[in-house]
Amino acid sequence: MIYALLILPALVLIFIVFGFPIIRYFWLSIHASSVLTGLTATPNYGANWIRLLNDDRFWLDTIQTIRFTMCSVLIEIVLAIVFALILNQNFRGRGLVRSLSILPWALPTTIMALGWRWIFNTPYGPIERIVSIFSTNSINILSNPNIAWIATVFADIWKTTPFITLIILAGLQTIPTDLYEAFKLESGDKLKSFFNITLPLLQPYLIISIIFRLAQAFGVFDLIQVLTLGGPAGSTESIGLYAYLNAMRFLDFGYSATIIFFSFILLSLFCILAWLLINKIRDKYQRNML
Amino acid sequence: MTLTISKISRRINQNWIIRDLSFQVNKGECLALLGPSGCGKSSTLRLIAGLDSPNEGKVYINDQDVTDIPPVERRIGMVFQSYALFPHLSIFSNLALGLKVRGVSEKQQIERVSSILSVVQLEHLSNRLPSELSGGQRQRVALARALLRDPHVYLLDEPMSNLDAQLREELRPELRRLILKGSQPVLYVTHDQQEAMAMADRIAVLKNGELEQIGTPLELYKDPKSFFVASFIGRPQINKLPIKNNIISAIRPESIYIDSNGISCKVIETEWLGMNKLVFLDSNIGNIRMICASNIKINEKLSISWDKSEELHFDATSEKRLT
Repeated sequence: MIYALLILPALVLIFIVFGFPIIRYFWLSIHASSVLTGLTATPNYGANWIRLLNDDRFWLDTIQTIRFTMCSVLIEIVLAIVFALILNQNFRGRGLVRSLSILPWALPTTIMALGWRWIFNTPYGPIERIVSIFSTNSINILSNPNIAWIATVFADIWKTTPFITLIILAGLQTIPTDLYEAFKLESGDKLKSFFNITLPLLQPYLIISIIFRLAQAFGVFDLIQVLTLGGPAGSTESIGLYAYLNAMRFLDFGYSATIIFFSFILLSLFCILAWLLINKIRDKYQRNML
Repeated sequence: MTLTISKISRRINQNWIIRDLSFQVNKGECLALLGPSGCGKSSTLRLIAGLDSPNEGKVYINDQDVTDIPPVERRIGMVFQSYALFPHLSIFSNLALGLKVRGVSEKQQIERVSSILSVVQLEHLSNRLPSELSGGQRQRVALARALLRDPHVYLLDEPMSNLDAQLREELRPELRRLILKGSQPVLYVTHDQQEAMAMADRIAVLKNGELEQIGTPLELYKDPKSFFVASFIGRPQINKLPIKNNIISAIRPESIYIDSNGISCKVIETEWLGMNKLVFLDSNIGNIRMICASNIKINEKLSISWDKSEELHFDATSEKRLT
C-alpha cells in the first residue's frame, strides 16, 4: 500500500496542470467576475449558467463548432489513410515526399491562416482569379456565410492531415507483410485485403488520431481568429472564439469560464462516445466475423 | 499432381538470388530444400507461390504453366515461418477468412472450419486469438489453414523453426499425418539437415542460389557430389583431412575407430551425445572428430584408424567429388 505513495508527486503535478484549471473554471462559472464587479469574483448563484442556456449566440456557435469538428476530422481521417497508404508504397524519392508532406503541420497556425486568407481573398486571391476567367460573378469566399465555414474546414484539413497521416503511416508499418502475402494466396482482391487486414489492425492508431483531433478541432481558435474573426455574420464563430471574446473584449470572466467549462463537458462526452463507437465497430469486425 | 520448376532465375539489382534452378516434385512426394541462410530456398518458395516473379524460367503445377498467373489461382497451401496468422481474428475466423473472401456460404464455412479444427484437435480453442495460443498450437492452426485451401501444392517455409527442439520432434508425426500423407507434392524449406532427413523423400541442397545436389537422404549421405554437400549432410560434421596433390580427403566421424596400429592422437575436447561421446582429437593430420564410448577423457592418448574405402575424395579447387 505504501508504494502507492510513490506516484503521489506525479498525481500532484497532474492536479496542478489539469485539475486546478478545471476546478477554477467551475468556481469562476458560479461567480460574477466582470467590469461591473470590478473584476472581483462575487457569487451570483448560477446566473451565468441560466444566461448560457438562453444565449442563442452560444448555441449557434456550439452547432457551428460541432459542424466544423465533424467535417474536419472525418475528411482528415479518410484523406490521411489514403495518403499513408500511398506513402507506404515503394517508389523513387519516397523519403523526400514523406518529409515534404509533413510541412503543413510544421507551419505555425497563424502563418498558414494568413496565407489562406490571401488565397481566399476577393478579388486578389488565386481562387477568385481563376473563377473570374469563367464568370463575372465572384464567389466572395470569406464574406459568404454559406461558404466561409467550408474555407475554415479546408484550411484546417490542409494543416492537420499530415499529422494524422504520420500516425497512420506508423501504424501501417507495424503490420507484418506476410499477413498480406497469406491473404494473397486466398484472394487477389486488394479492397478485401484492406478491409479485412489493414483497417482492423490500424484501429488503435485510428482511435488515437480521432480522439486527439476531436479535442483539437473542437477547441479551434487561432485559425478562425486569423482567417475570418468569426465572421461573416458570426457564421464561423467557434465556442473557443466566443469564450475568448467574452473574456478579452467584454471582460466578463465569469461567463467566459462558464462557456469553457460547458465545452469541456461536451468534449469529454464526444471523446467517450467516439471511443465507445470505435470499440463497438472493433468488436464487430474483430475476433469473430460470423 | 506435380510441381515442376524449370530453369528459374531471380535477381535483385545485379545480385542473383536464384540461378538456373530446376527440379520436379512428384505426386505425394516431399522434397526438402536445404541450405544455409541466404542460399535462396525461401525465395524459391515465394516464386512458386507467386509472391515474387522469376526473371527467367517457368513454374508448372500439374503440367500447367502458372508463371504468370496470380497467387490465388495457383491454389497453394502455404505455411509461413512466422505462421502469418491474423492477430485480430479468432482461430475460427482466421480459418474462415479465406473461405469468406472466396464467397463460400456461411453454413459451408462453419462446416469446413469445424471439421478441419477437429482434424488438428483444436476445437476447444476456436474462440481464442492467436496470441492466446502456444507456439505449437499456432503452428497447427497454420497447418489447418493450408489444409483448408485444398491446394494443388503444399509449400512449407521453415514450419518448425520457431518451435523448441522437443516440440519439433512431437509435431513431426503430426505434419506427416496431415500433409505429407496426401497426394499433393510438398516442398519443405529448412536449414536443419536433421529435419530434412527426417521429413523428406528427397533433398535438394542449395548453395548461393544454385542447385548443388538433389537425391534421397541416403544418396546425399553416402554419395555427396561436392564437399559442401558432404559437410552439410551428416552430424557430427565430416572430417576434412590435409590436402594432398590438390585432393581433399574426408572421412565421417562415425567411420573412425580405435586401432592401436593407427594414427596416434590426443583428446582435446569431448561432448556428450547421450549414448556416446563426440571426441575432438589433435593429431599430426589436424583436428579430427570421432564418436567414442563414453569413458574417454580429456588428454587421453589414443590411436585411430578407418577403412580407406570409407574416405571421400574431392577436387581441392572445385570441391567437386572425384570418382
